[in-house]
Amino acid sequence: MTNKQMRRWLLGVAGCMALLAPACAQELPLYTKWENYTTANGMPDEKVLSVAVDDDRVWAGTENGLVLIEKGKIQKIYKPEDGLANRVVTGIAVDKASGDVWIATFGGLSRLSGGQFHNYTNLTSGLANDIVYGVAIQDEYVWVATTAGTNRFNTHTGEWAIFSEKNAPLNEPWSYGIAVAEKKVYVAVWGGGILEYDIAGGYWKPYTDPDGEMEIILFKNQGLIHMIVSNIAWNKDTQMFWASTYFGLSGYDGRNWHNYLSTDSGLASDFINAPKSRGDDVWACTDKGLSYLNFKTNTWVTYRPNAKTGHGEIVITGPDKKVTTRETPTSLAHNYILNLDFQGDDIWVATATGLSHGIKESTRESNKEGKVHEHTSVSR
Amino acid sequence: MRAELTIRLQRLGALTGFLVLLGGIAATFGVSRLQAAQASTQTAENASEENYLTPVELKFSPDGTKLYVVCEDDDSLLAVDVKAQRVLGKVKVGHKPKDVAVSPDGRVLYVTNEWDDTVSEIDAKSFSVRRTLPAGWGPVGVTTDRTGKVLFVANSVGNDVSVIDLTAGVELKRLASWRSPHNLLLSRDGRRVYIANMLGHLGPPNEPPVSELTVIDTASQRVAERIEIPGVLELRHIAEAPGAKGGYLLVPIMRPKNLNPLIQVAGGWIVTHGMAVVKVGETNGITPAKSSVTQILLDDVDQYFAGTNGVAFTPDGRLALVTASEADIVSAIDTAKLERRLRQVPAEELANRLDSAKEIVARRLETGANPMAIAISHDGRFAYVVNRLGDSLTVVDIPRLQVRGTIDLGGPKELSKLRRGEQMFHAARFCFQGQFACSTCHPDNHIDGVSWNLETPQLGRDRVANRTLRGIAETAPYKWNGHNPDLETQCGPRIAKFLFHSEGFNSAQLSDLVAFIKAIPLPPNRHLAADGQLTPAQEHGRAIFYQRFCDTCHTPATHYTARISFDVGTATKYDTNGFFDVPQLDRIVQRPPYMHSGEALSLEELWTIYNPHDRHGVTSDMSKEDLNDLIEFLKSL
Repeated sequence: MTNKQMRRWLLGVAGCMALLAPACAQELPLYTKWENYTTANGMPDEKVLSVAVDDDRVWAGTENGLVLIEKGKIQKIYKPEDGLANRVVTGIAVDKASGDVWIATFGGLSRLSGGQFHNYTNLTSGLANDIVYGVAIQDEYVWVATTAGTNRFNTHTGEWAIFSEKNAPLNEPWSYGIAVAEKKVYVAVWGGGILEYDIAGGYWKPYTDPDGEMEIILFKNQGLIHMIVSNIAWNKDTQMFWASTYFGLSGYDGRNWHNYLSTDSGLASDFINAPKSRGDDVWACTDKGLSYLNFKTNTWVTYRPNAKTGHGEIVITGPDKKVTTRETPTSLAHNYILNLDFQGDDIWVATATGLSHGIKESTRESNKEGKVHEHTSVSR
Repeated sequence: MRAELTIRLQRLGALTGFLVLLGGIAATFGVSRLQAAQASTQTAENASEENYLTPVELKFSPDGTKLYVVCEDDDSLLAVDVKAQRVLGKVKVGHKPKDVAVSPDGRVLYVTNEWDDTVSEIDAKSFSVRRTLPAGWGPVGVTTDRTGKVLFVANSVGNDVSVIDLTAGVELKRLASWRSPHNLLLSRDGRRVYIANMLGHLGPPNEPPVSELTVIDTASQRVAERIEIPGVLELRHIAEAPGAKGGYLLVPIMRPKNLNPLIQVAGGWIVTHGMAVVKVGETNGITPAKSSVTQILLDDVDQYFAGTNGVAFTPDGRLALVTASEADIVSAIDTAKLERRLRQVPAEELANRLDSAKEIVARRLETGANPMAIAISHDGRFAYVVNRLGDSLTVVDIPRLQVRGTIDLGGPKELSKLRRGEQMFHAARFCFQGQFACSTCHPDNHIDGVSWNLETPQLGRDRVANRTLRGIAETAPYKWNGHNPDLETQCGPRIAKFLFHSEGFNSAQLSDLVAFIKAIPLPPNRHLAADGQLTPAQEHGRAIFYQRFCDTCHTPATHYTARISFDVGTATKYDTNGFFDVPQLDRIVQRPPYMHSGEALSLEELWTIYNPHDRHGVTSDMSKEDLNDLIEFLKSL
């Protein structure tokens, strides 16, 4: 193949891809049907801080107890009088092997097993602090994010290890979230960036601002977007981690950083409480709605309730920055989003005023749902 | 008073200095942890120098022609020809075997080795070990699922259940049980595995114990339910009634009235023995099941049957046989009368009524020494009872409800001093009305995990935690107040007067008993690496231990006890004296609750809650990281 032939072939491929890209955006799966669980229909508190799905069971952590939803109904609400360590439930992790549910609370760590709670607190166990923000399971280890560092609890031996500024590269002790990968554990540290723990080697590697002088990066994909990391997620399909900060979204594929701000993408807000990711999907729980990124096509979708109409609003931002807005009869409970988990194709979203169930419908069905408003391209 | 205290403190100081010096010498000359572990093993071997078999469990082959008998002191499994009533073969397994499971097709046997943390897989035809599978810490009870592809193993030290894939020979997962899980039972429909936990939940010392029957769903291999059984301890065996009889479970129990003054033994009713009748409800593992638990006693008003242990139903479910391991009795229960009794008497009354046995017990039959597990032939004609300290099986003719004979399993015919002592230890006949034996409150030569209302100055209010008997030979004095200088004093007149309310042991018996207790070994330490090397956390904790002068009272050279009383500020409002015997720290992690009062439910609580004035070491300035490492070091002892 000559250079000329090669150039023609490449131009042809590029032309086809350009034609296909809008088509991909058109086929974007949308959540047009929402069911909300609020205090009006049985939730013990407005604010839902965490959510975790275990097959048919959905666990929601609120400011006033742990909620179990199954078959579309609130089956049980657990409170301290039932044995829960504290009413404020900030994180939930289900051990898929044992079925035990580990619960991060503002009064320690709880394990729910066979209907009974067992609690671990700073006074009764090796837990670093009773303010627990996150929990994750790695084989027989339970990783716990606390305000005094990260704990690793070995359920087989009973050993508690604490990783804090004393023995790990933490600039700050406030661990906010934990994500477990196949060979690594990632910790989101508020003000301290991201810590990566090598499971086999038993050592830590920090991801902080590259120049070491400022909390925020100076160039777009220079490194972690900001040191204040609120949570972290691992995508086993793409082998990437995604970090939510209060100043944007960061993804890292092992070689390159992929950073997003609301000013240069379809991200609803730079204030992000938590990320979630699988396949090409990246979700960001922001204070101004739930944002979705198709990492492959760079297409964004943001879900939020329309304060004026009370309906749902879907804002689609294509890779060409063309914005399309749709309206749906139902919406998320609130635009302040705290957490999210997947249940098959559906999503469950923790918001400031309730838990929202986003029901995935086929593209054809979802297109029937609401009105579509075309907007001209917006350069952001 | 002040002068007395001064002298006491001077003595204490001198002794402490001497012991610190000893500790230093030991450390200087490198008395390694490995040597200590080896020493403990040697003691264990000495204890079984007579090569007794000590059978503890038995199971039938699927065709009913053989009985497989697990012998814990012989580290072996025996095959017994049921018809010929003789031992057919023996296969050596791991250390301290505890239970055997037979695969559904009868071709493979699985024996748990408690001290090796393994399971021996045995070819039933060749009767040889074909592979050794890893398990958790202290594997005891074992069962396969219906397919024979999955093995469930109760780990008594790890407090969990290993789920093992038998095809790959790997552990799939561990499910948390509760404290000291013991025996397992696969339900008749194969949907569940039941786990009997020998010790109760850790709780406040002024509340009755609560024990747990853990239920695992075999399909999901998850814990489906935790059935609480209030006021009881020492769940061991489980039997399921035939479906036609309701499918309920019988679980032998001990009901300790540990909150009442133990001097009430003379009034009866302090330690009672019976069964929990459990009807297991359907559960999804989350919402509470509608399981019901009723307790019924098997004691008579003036005669107790201590050590309820093994249980089995006849195939038709008309009878249930229950062993009383400390009374050398097997009781035959008429289940129709049992069911009638359950209907007639409210459950809240039944647990404390001593008039049930005369209604429901069809016959009491004498067995050999220390009867434990029981198995009934498929045709329902015979029951076989394992006599742990008799190295034999008692054969019961069920239709006639009489003992037909005894199968001798082998082993020495002479009773050694240690063996006589061990029989004494397990014999309730020395106690008033046979209410309890030493082993009642020291199951497996250890602790029952509760605090007892003993002969303290504030009798009736004050309670003291039970103390282990493992590895205590060199830790005198005894009792929390340190008033008993030796075991002869502890086990002689004190036991007779305050506990047994009887004449107790004569001098020869006492000598045997003390010899046995002194020979009780420490179990292996799973927190310490096989080569004795400490982990970085343990090494750091060790440095803290010495930096904080913990070794002053917990002297390493003498099992980490200075063998003297100290006041470290742990007295309760009922204590008239703050001085308490310094407990040895060997295997300290295996014996919560802590402190003389049993108030500290974890090692952490000793310092986070019960050391407010820094008298139990200066620890208030200690970081949580340091405290965790100190505890990791303590676990290694």
